[in-house]
Amino acid sequence: MTLAELQALLHGRITGMVPGREDELRTEVVARPPLEALERVEIYAGMYLHRLVDAIAEDVPHTSRVLGHDAFLELVRAYLHEHPSRSPDIGQAGRSFGAWLRAYRGIREDLPDLALLERARSEVRAAADASVAGAEELQSLKPDALPGARFHFSPALRVLRLQHDVRPLWDALEGDAGDAPDPMPAPTTFVVWRQEFKVFHTVLSEPEAHALMVAREGGTLEEICATFAGEADPAQTAFKTVLSWFADSWVAAVTSQRA
Amino acid sequence: MVPFLGHGIGLRNKHFPDLLEQGRRAEWFEVITENFLNVGGRPRAVLEAVRRERPVVLHGVSLSIGSVDPLDVGYLRDVRALADAVEPAWVSDHLCWGTFGRHNAHDLLPLPFTEESLAHVVSRVSEVQERLGRRILLENVSSYLTYASSTIPEWDFLTEVARRADCLILLDVNNVYVSATNHGFDAAEYLRSVPVDRVAQLHLAGHQDLGTHLLDTHDAAVPDPVWALYRDVVRRFGRVSTLVEWDDHIPPLDEVLAQAERARAFEKAVLEEAA
Repeated sequence: MTLAELQALLHGRITGMVPGREDELRTEVVARPPLEALERVEIYAGMYLHRLVDAIAEDVPHTSRVLGHDAFLELVRAYLHEHPSRSPDIGQAGRSFGAWLRAYRGIREDLPDLALLERARSEVRAAADASVAGAEELQSLKPDALPGARFHFSPALRVLRLQHDVRPLWDALEGDAGDAPDPMPAPTTFVVWRQEFKVFHTVLSEPEAHALMVAREGGTLEEICATFAGEADPAQTAFKTVLSWFADSWVAAVTSQRA
Repeated sequence: MVPFLGHGIGLRNKHFPDLLEQGRRAEWFEVITENFLNVGGRPRAVLEAVRRERPVVLHGVSLSIGSVDPLDVGYLRDVRALADAVEPAWVSDHLCWGTFGRHNAHDLLPLPFTEESLAHVVSRVSEVQERLGRRILLENVSSYLTYASSTIPEWDFLTEVARRADCLILLDVNNVYVSATNHGFDAAEYLRSVPVDRVAQLHLAGHQDLGTHLLDTHDAAVPDPVWALYRDVVRRFGRVSTLVEWDDHIPPLDEVLAQAERARAFEKAVLEEAA
């Protein structure tokens, strides 16, 4: 057996992607008392699953707690079968877990959203550092450059469109406050961000969610302000909203072609 | 050769607050490379704070030097960027494989010790060293299985990789003990066979005895048989930068530092005996 054939055999068995082939494993792996060849391979197979279960649980601690150890382990096993880890960083193994969970039946309906929120918090916690722009950067632009100003957002900012408001659930689990509240179905836009070393999340109003989407897609200040046209005081609302983005360290830089 | 750094510990999340508040009390720190690739926030801030005061070494777990997969050049680029930023005393990883078909098992799987594996690893170490712009250290891993196809003793395989690829060795004393017990070879023969001039770092760690085999868990203090083997290592290799690994059930910082201090005392006693 070549090195490539041997690695295919072992890897398939250890990761559970290619079960069987016991006779070949018995030929290739040395049995040495007290362990048979297959028992030796199973040591690695067990460690594979448990190592990845631990890594993904670190990403989504509340989700794994709600599910319970055994159910979580079985879900991770099924998830890994469809999404084997392709990153050198084991911390990326659970990157698609929340989205994958959405297609899964028989669990609390808001758990996929909780997992997505937890994963976003995990990503934001260690996201790359970037400069933080203050509102003065916007104010320093010449008046004719202001409408064309564009915002560049921090790498430590995530926007999530979820199907439930999972704030009460997250709060209850984070505070260890007894029973989890009932699911609250409602399309909800969450934003997750880091200030200094602390991670925050909140829910955005629909107008602000729309404005932030426009801004993140490269829209100008003029286009961002236009999203508030239906508000009672559009200019004031737009002004306050944009200033809050600076105050919360969401904005890394401001540019304007007419600056 | 690389500098002698003394007796260090691994940089672990659990100790971040203590390290920031109480200063950098170990002589040097080993960092798991993958935990700091393209990372910001508190982990990066702690790494930079530690590095300002102490030597740091990058220790990878995902190089997969023995895999038949192509080398992950994106990963190597990220490691190079981190190394350029942190300026570690050296960069190390493991003599093993962990990926197949770009699917990462996140494990340190043993290689068959054959001429085919040897040639494969040697050519890849050379490419890695070129891409990283430095010599690397490769560590012997703990293992729970061996292959019928192996024709070379593990210690000779390790030695030949280092010699032919001109890389250095990170000798994990606990791994030698664990594998010697699991496979019934003589740890003393292992140590006698590894060339003194290639060993640039030592690892010490704890393991668990599961009855049927020893498991390299890094979740306990260094046990007596590993300390005994460490004495033999110091007698043969002299002063070599030594690091205590503790990765699971991590105790307070003082307890890990006490293990590094114990290593220093062992080393001093052995060297005084020999003088």
